Amino acid sequence: MYKILEKKEIAMRNTWYKVHAPHVAKKVKPGQFVIVRAFKNGERIPLTPVMWDRDEGWIVLIVFTRGKTTARMANELKPGDEILNIAGPLGNPAEMEKFGKILAIGAYTGIVEVYPIAKAWQELGNDVTTLHVTFEPMVVLKDELERAVGRHVVETVPIDPNLDFPTNMKNVTKRLVEKVREMLEKESYDLVFMVGPTGDQKAVFEVVKEFGVPMKADLHPIMVDGTGMCGACRVTVGGEVKFACIDGPEFDAYEIHWDELIARSGYYTDMEQRAMQEYMKLIEQALQGGEQ
Amino acid sequence: MAVKRKIIKERVPTPERPAEERIKSFVEVNLGYTFELAVKEAERCLQCPYNYAPCIKGCPVHIDIPGFISKLVEYRDDPDKAVKEALSVIWTCNSLPATTGRVCPQEDQCEMNCVMGKVGDKINIGKLERFVADYAREKGIDEELLFEMIPRIEKKGQKVAIIGAGPAGLTAAGELAKLGYDVTIYEALHEAGGVLMYGIPEFRLPKSIVESEIDKLKKLGVKILTDHIVGRTVTIEELLEEYDAVFIGSGAGTPRLINAPGINLNGIYTANEFLTRVNLMKAYLFPEYDTPVKVGKRVVVIGAGNTAMDAARSARRFGSEVIIAYRRGPEDVSARVEEVEHAKEEGIKFEFFVNPVEFIGDGKGNLKAVKFEKMKALDERDSRGKRKIVGTGEYVTIEAETAIIAIGKHPNRLIVNTPGLKVERGRIVVDENLMTSIPGVFAGGDAIRGEATVILAMGDGRMAAKAIHEYLTKKRENGNA
Repeated sequence: MYKILEKKEIAMRNTWYKVHAPHVAKKVKPGQFVIVRAFKNGERIPLTPVMWDRDEGWIVLIVFTRGKTTARMANELKPGDEILNIAGPLGNPAEMEKFGKILAIGAYTGIVEVYPIAKAWQELGNDVTTLHVTFEPMVVLKDELERAVGRHVVETVPIDPNLDFPTNMKNVTKRLVEKVREMLEKESYDLVFMVGPTGDQKAVFEVVKEFGVPMKADLHPIMVDGTGMCGACRVTVGGEVKFACIDGPEFDAYEIHWDELIARSGYYTDMEQRAMQEYMKLIEQALQGGEQ
Repeated sequence: MAVKRKIIKERVPTPERPAEERIKSFVEVNLGYTFELAVKEAERCLQCPYNYAPCIKGCPVHIDIPGFISKLVEYRDDPDKAVKEALSVIWTCNSLPATTGRVCPQEDQCEMNCVMGKVGDKINIGKLERFVADYAREKGIDEELLFEMIPRIEKKGQKVAIIGAGPAGLTAAGELAKLGYDVTIYEALHEAGGVLMYGIPEFRLPKSIVESEIDKLKKLGVKILTDHIVGRTVTIEELLEEYDAVFIGSGAGTPRLINAPGINLNGIYTANEFLTRVNLMKAYLFPEYDTPVKVGKRVVVIGAGNTAMDAARSARRFGSEVIIAYRRGPEDVSARVEEVEHAKEEGIKFEFFVNPVEFIGDGKGNLKAVKFEKMKALDERDSRGKRKIVGTGEYVTIEAETAIIAIGKHPNRLIVNTPGLKVERGRIVVDENLMTSIPGVFAGGDAIRGEATVILAMGDGRMAAKAIHEYLTKKRENGNA
């Protein structure tokens, strides 16, 4: 049981949790993740420690409300409550080398995973530029990144209330791709790194490939155990089947079978929507009950 | 004991829920004996003398089987006393009898050697063991025994770390705790039990039973740290700084895949993923439980071991048509006889001599069918005594939206990568005392065997506990405690 020391909404659909998890805080390195099971009937979901204190034994998780589990976390957990399970750290730490000039990109809440890695790269003597592309009300960690790296660029897209969410997201992808192209045309980078939805990672990779810049992608396939036991997170890299949880999560973007990965990531979308709808119904019922 | 016995050839059957009812739920299939039925079956036992009893020789943990069975008959007028006496006999060798009574392949072990088999049905040892454990749990008799046992334990003042809370680790932990060691188990998942929790379905081994067996270990003083992944959260080197000995019971955690085109299509699960979703995460209760699983109308399970049967029977409970496809013939099926029979009763079909060569997609990334090559068996046998098989060049395609790969597992790579730990073909190498190449580090179960059974893992756990006890006794005597 892991106590929530602080909880706050730091941007639209982005919740900050400072949690007591000394076994993770003691060991975690940039690039690693944890598997969180918040409720008895909840899923095991991979999340990234964004900050940590080894002595005080806490980690910070910034969670994007995406489906039922993350919505329940945002709605139901209060400071002082306990998260049932936090397993980790898992995955391999990001490679800590002097790559030179790095462009580290985060789409949406992907930027929170970029943060610890970019900060460590900068401290190691790299010249790091971070790029955060998201909807206007979803900007997070702006001040922290400005302090941590050489240059932090934020590109926002307004949410058009007349359009549905998937169409709005396409506008983010468009801006993301344009901005990356613009940056690569203006300056030359030794490495591009990206975290974000798989479709956006692929779109960015298509641009980066044109410029021939090396690129690493931090992958987020569907996971269950996170320790190499189930094989849910398998991904074809360089023609071989790899498990993102123990071989990754970071891979060479040039070697990844992107279309297969995108198809696998969407396998449960219909069921996730169903779970979310049923949850919303419960909330509505509860609200109606409260009004009586 | 020259009492003249009447030989009763037929086994006293255990009641089972009918197939048409059980494929609609995950409730346990076998209902077990009542005390009266258990005594009737126990009376059939010929009571071979301990030194001779072939059933004991067939048991990987050498339970005094005639010994515990005789107690049921001896105290037949006092059921509570009978069970208490029987359980204390079992407990000297096996701390998880409710589990082994359900999942051991008895027909290949104790029951295989039963002398009664020469004249009639073999004694139903597994179900008797299960009866003793279940009755004791329901009446609180196990608690009573434990309560009597705990004050007699003499603390040794030495600490042992156990990696993995599966059958090997739990057994080693129980034995070491009884010997007075301070034991801590490091478990990667959020619940202890290992394969008993994530792998074996509820209808074969109810999770509440596993939990109660684990509770008993906790009462013995065993500490369990869940969410701790050895190799990531803590390394074996670090454990050695804090503990006097380490036991690796990490199992065979990495699934084997088939090297065929289309293996990463949606709808193809490893048995581990499928069973973890269903058993550990309770996906059959979705959306009340958040974890989803997709089971198509037609399901092909590839492999024919216990895991394949578990996956097939689980899939059947989602209302699907299920085929078990195996590259060898019926004589090489490695699953327990009871599981194969249950699978057949539940309407699962078997296809033999077919080997998957390609997974065919629907053009959108989802599985549509599996292409198999037909195989044939030769007279020649391989090292495991199975007939060698070769492809015939003929193919057959089975339509399916879901395929479950149950062809075995490798030991978990996170542990195997420990510096200084000798590993061959993915398995940890141990000496005759189950000690690895690192002094003070022992290993057992699937981590050294590849893939075996719950009881073999428990046998290793027990043997390792004995070896660790000897190792730590020497260490104490040399003043290193």
